[in-house]
Amino acid sequence: MQNAIELKGVHKTFGSKVAVRDLDLVIPTGSLCGFIGPNGAGKTTTIRMIMSIIFPDRGDLTVLGKKSAVESKDRIGYLPEERGVYRKMKVGPFLVYLGRLKGMDAAGLDTKVKDWLARVGLGDCFKKKCEELSKGMQQKVQFISAVLHDPELIILDEPFSGLDPVNRRMLRDLIDEQHKAGRTLIFSTHAMFEAEQLCERIFMIHRGEKVLDGPLDDIWSKYDPRCVFVETIAATDDAMVSIAGSLPGVREAIQDPRGIDVRMRPDADPGPVMAALAQRLPVRRVELKRPNLEDIFIELVGGSAAAIRAELSDLNGTADTTAAMQDTSA
Amino acid sequence: MNKIFWVAWREFATTVFTKGFLIGVIMTPLMLLVVIGAMAWLKDFKGPRIHGTVAVIDQSGMVTAGLTKRFSPEELQKETEASAKQAVEQMQKTPVGEAMQGVPGANMEQAAGMAASQIAAGGPQLDLEVLDSAADIEKEKEPVKIAEIKAEGEADPKSANPRLALVVIPADAVSVKPDGKFGGIQAYFAQRLDGEIEDKIERRVQEAIIDARIENDKRLAAAGMNPTVVRDIVARPAVESKTLTKSGEKKSLGGLTMLVPMGFMMLMMISVMTSGSSLLTTTVEEKSSRVMEVLLSAVSPMQLMTGKIIGQMGVGLLILAVYSGLGVGSVVFLLKRMDLISTESLIYLVIFFFIAYFLVASLMAAIGSAVNDMREAQTLMTPVMLLIMLPWMIWFVIQRAPNSPLAVTLSFVPGMNPFIMVIRLCGSEPVPTWQIPVAIAVGVVSVVIAAWAAAKVFRIGALMYGKPPDFKTLLRWIRMA
Repeated sequence: MQNAIELKGVHKTFGSKVAVRDLDLVIPTGSLCGFIGPNGAGKTTTIRMIMSIIFPDRGDLTVLGKKSAVESKDRIGYLPEERGVYRKMKVGPFLVYLGRLKGMDAAGLDTKVKDWLARVGLGDCFKKKCEELSKGMQQKVQFISAVLHDPELIILDEPFSGLDPVNRRMLRDLIDEQHKAGRTLIFSTHAMFEAEQLCERIFMIHRGEKVLDGPLDDIWSKYDPRCVFVETIAATDDAMVSIAGSLPGVREAIQDPRGIDVRMRPDADPGPVMAALAQRLPVRRVELKRPNLEDIFIELVGGSAAAIRAELSDLNGTADTTAAMQDTSA
Repeated sequence: MNKIFWVAWREFATTVFTKGFLIGVIMTPLMLLVVIGAMAWLKDFKGPRIHGTVAVIDQSGMVTAGLTKRFSPEELQKETEASAKQAVEQMQKTPVGEAMQGVPGANMEQAAGMAASQIAAGGPQLDLEVLDSAADIEKEKEPVKIAEIKAEGEADPKSANPRLALVVIPADAVSVKPDGKFGGIQAYFAQRLDGEIEDKIERRVQEAIIDARIENDKRLAAAGMNPTVVRDIVARPAVESKTLTKSGEKKSLGGLTMLVPMGFMMLMMISVMTSGSSLLTTTVEEKSSRVMEVLLSAVSPMQLMTGKIIGQMGVGLLILAVYSGLGVGSVVFLLKRMDLISTESLIYLVIFFFIAYFLVASLMAAIGSAVNDMREAQTLMTPVMLLIMLPWMIWFVIQRAPNSPLAVTLSFVPGMNPFIMVIRLCGSEPVPTWQIPVAIAVGVVSVVIAAWAAAKVFRIGALMYGKPPDFKTLLRWIRMA
């Protein structure tokens, strides 16, 4: 099957700053792909290049079999990161206008817009002015504008930002529905747990360079559990962390609010390490962790985990939302 | 193409189908009419009728009789009627009056009578007070010094009938001096007396003196001349002025011809500025509300910019059509003066409108896409506005000397030249033929360059948020893209 998107050696600089560095990327048709990376990693730049809104300095780009998305813009649905509405325009006419720009026929367009509005719980908003809507409601309107014309390829840049847990849930269902209908979906997020929950493929970039690309299942099996989580009986202190860090086979030990994250060397066997930890520390619980994308990201990017954590600080800031997400999905 | 049409249509519809626009477009000419009407009405409105006396010291002893006659109620009536008739005649001479004559029910005689009674009612009531010829001038000045100008009925009985003027007629004003010349007269007026009333008093005195001279000068009798004949001879002839055109003789219009070039320039400026600034507003709105990238997911930046410019061009043309329709309509149907506006000048108006509009629109689109909000736009707008407003500030200079070196030079300065050329082409002095295509060429080249640069700025600026660019950055963007 033909790939929906292919990037080969795509490179983009803004002035002296390299935004995207020699990027290769393949997105198979029909896949649901998470595009992750910290803020400023080059996600939006890459998406804008895919959309032919900006153009790469060099490299080849194929979108839906065409050299440029301009030729197939009507077959692509795009929810940009910087999104908005005409404040003075009414919701219905706004969506009809965007449908028109997407080359949709006038016939049935009104009905279709009304159907979609009803589906996202905005059935009474057709004649309301956009400025009367809350931010979350506006975001739903924008989502409709991206999928209204039944595109083959849907690109959503940070679709979940600013949504409450209930609406996140609704959006996830809508994304899933589009995926089941056989459409290719890409969504970018800096909150990696969202990608973990939803995607079948992951594409990760950092400072404009690709660090991870492939089906999520492959990624799980490729990145063996290399991390042990230790919950101590007493409060964790620096001494305990340094003991954990000095054990054979341990690469690094990081204090966590709930305990200690112990990262092993690639060649280490988890069994003896866990035994040693239970022996040396007052543990309540020792657990071999399934690595999350964040861990994998940190492992891949290398260097000091603390420095990367600082870089990813806003990810930690979303811990509360993670909890909220889990509540609603439970 | 379809997408450009939809962008253009939305741009046009959101600008035109708003209360603000409809009110603005309809209200502006309406307000102009009201102001012009109010000015015309206020001009005739003299305020309350002035009441007072004019004292005269006739040292010659020969003018009093004539003056008394001139200040008598019958003479005053005659005078006002004459001036009313003159006013009506003057009005009839104007194209408006000419048009009115064809209108049934507009009875000119009746109008003259009405005007006369109106003028008589509004005019000052002046009583003549003949003083002794030997009266002390200084002493007689006193009542004039303290005279308070009051309206009829308003004055309290004590100071009723204030002395508004004192006229001293020396003997030599009537009787010729040994050197064969006449002397002058002195007139003293109360403070804050209306200039027109002063003129009226002076005119009556002058006429009475001339009459007295004709009656009394011995040289006339010696030459065997009839005073009546002399009076007829010295009367100033009436002037009937006409303008010669190819299509025949026309009555001269004086100021009106001068107003046509300015009117055309104003028309162009209003339509270009209205559509240009709403293009800026919508572009800034699209950026600040972050709807820009949503649009760019469906259309290319070039399609968006083109659509927006075409849409606002529709707005500009609508304004141009409405206003020039009103203007041309009133000139053609009301003034019946087809010759004032030639087809050529209308064609030039349209050509230069397009040049001015596309130039301004390109700049506005570029500015709108580069900034984050209207406040930031102001800084970049200033030079553009200056370039466009300059012709407005100097239109009179250009109009007076349409072929002066200044006018010719400015005709080739991009940005200004459409406006300057319209003033020159609609004026009375012919513009050398070669200058027209050259000016159009300069305009077209400037439009092409501006549109090219704007497209580059728009493509980058549309998605650029944060620090607003300065001119240096804009130049870099133009070179970069």
